[in-house]
Amino acid sequence: MSDRLEVALSLQVPGFDLDVSWSAGGGVAVLFGPSGAGKTLTLQCLAGLITPNAGRIVVDGRVLFDSASGVNVPAQARRVGYVFQGYALFPHLTVTENVGFGLRDLPRARRAERAAAVIERLGLAGLEHRYPRELSGGQRQRVALGRALAIDPALLLLDEPLSALDAPLRRALRDELRALLTDLGTAAVLVTHDFTEAYRLGDRIVVYDAGRVVQSAPRSELLWQPASESVARIMGIRNVLRGTVVKATPDRIQFRWRGQLLEAVNSPSRSYLPAADSPIAFFIRPEYVRLIRKDRGPADPSHHMNLMDGVVVGEEDFGTTWSLRIRLTAAGEPAQGDHDLEVEVPHLVYEILEIDRDRRWQFSIHRGSIHVLPA
Amino acid sequence: MLSLRVAILATVLNALIGVPLAWALARRRFPGRALLDLLVTMPLILPPTVTGYYLIVLFGRRGWLGGPLYQMTGWSIAFTWYAAVVAATIMALPLLVRTAKAAFESVDRDLERAAFTLGRSELRTAVEVTLPLARNGILAGLVLAFARALGEFGATLMLAGNIPGKTATVPLAIYTAVQTGEDAAALLLVVVLSALSCVVIVAANRLGARAT
Repeated sequence: MSDRLEVALSLQVPGFDLDVSWSAGGGVAVLFGPSGAGKTLTLQCLAGLITPNAGRIVVDGRVLFDSASGVNVPAQARRVGYVFQGYALFPHLTVTENVGFGLRDLPRARRAERAAAVIERLGLAGLEHRYPRELSGGQRQRVALGRALAIDPALLLLDEPLSALDAPLRRALRDELRALLTDLGTAAVLVTHDFTEAYRLGDRIVVYDAGRVVQSAPRSELLWQPASESVARIMGIRNVLRGTVVKATPDRIQFRWRGQLLEAVNSPSRSYLPAADSPIAFFIRPEYVRLIRKDRGPADPSHHMNLMDGVVVGEEDFGTTWSLRIRLTAAGEPAQGDHDLEVEVPHLVYEILEIDRDRRWQFSIHRGSIHVLPA
Repeated sequence: MLSLRVAILATVLNALIGVPLAWALARRRFPGRALLDLLVTMPLILPPTVTGYYLIVLFGRRGWLGGPLYQMTGWSIAFTWYAAVVAATIMALPLLVRTAKAAFESVDRDLERAAFTLGRSELRTAVEVTLPLARNGILAGLVLAFARALGEFGATLMLAGNIPGKTATVPLAIYTAVQTGEDAAALLLVVVLSALSCVVIVAANRLGARAT
């Protein structure tokens, strides 16, 4: 599939240096990364609100900016719909006037018709004459979206569209927004610093860090194969750890960590074969660590891979799951402060195993659940 | 009432010159911007007589602007009631410009950016978005400018003189009355001007409170 969106930007502003290049097919591209990574700056360049020092922006074959050939379509003529962080609704205008703001060139009747259609589509009927301050957070978000969609944009930009909302509403609107964006089929670029949001809303995720792209991949690939340790940390993955390679083959990687010999699945497609004794980074998702039940006899090392012993040194209740901090019964400093591994268990498991009073456990990790991060 | 006429005209001139000036200072980057800001603000800090002196240098019969005008037409603005308007305008301008500039700056830039992406030029955005949202701050600035114009004394005395019935505004009349021992007339004018100032401050505060 050909790319609908090609972005290459180089922009130097005092104290910040943006230099990124990525492309995306149809659907939603999410710019994900910590605050101050250059995500919003990228959106402003795409919209023509900031002119980069150099680069090229192409949307569906239409060149919006190209420093080499001197093309720079002004913001007014780009037909880019922009949903601002905090929405930036015109406070002195009603819902209808806000939605219709970009339609000034249409005859009055057509403008009213188009605004009404967008208002209907976004479920804002009945609120036409309200002012932004009289709307709820979710309604404001939809007005902002409607105002951007009314101009029939070639590209839709959304800057943290959910950050102004309360948590429960956030989840509901996230799925609603996902459905709407899929339905529209307009190429869209969305900025967020929340990985769950990035994963739920994006088809492709472009990971930003300090003005650079550190990985650009379809969302599932990113989830299971972060390109590096730093990407894994930016994604907020827990249990990102470091060991020492013992042996690497195209199928398996064996390494030593905290006195244990662990085995992980290697990905033949990546052909990552680090030399013996070299450092290696990996991560273990907390929900993929298995506690061994004590009422079913001793653990069988041939059946339970990567078997280890540890003590629960702390725990936190996350409502539906417990997060346990486990320290291995091995000599040396724990890997993560007071503990070696974070393990997540559902409430039910926590209660059945009576973890609140039984603190010593054996646990195992399937080799497919240890993810090696290329250096 | 000469004073009211002078103050109203000065306020109108302030609106026409000061509002676009405040917008430009708040939103545009252009060479000489800092200098312009300085020039507009100066009358706020300088003794009014100094400002008046500069105005004579500019508009007097031998002034940079007034000189050629006098040569051509034999008419000079100095010692006419127009001079009182000019003096009041210049003295009130910093109050309006500073208040209006702050009001323009308080408008969220994302609102203007949104207008750009929706097809509005910079000027149309200023008129349709920035100006309406800065309205209360600008009105508060105009009220202050009006009050300043009404109470103008020093620069007016320098440029317009103190000619009874012609250029003697209320503050000048108060001065004359005190000098000539007409205490009752002076007191009356003082009370009127004080009351008017109180009304103006309350009005400006109300507008300012609504602006936020």
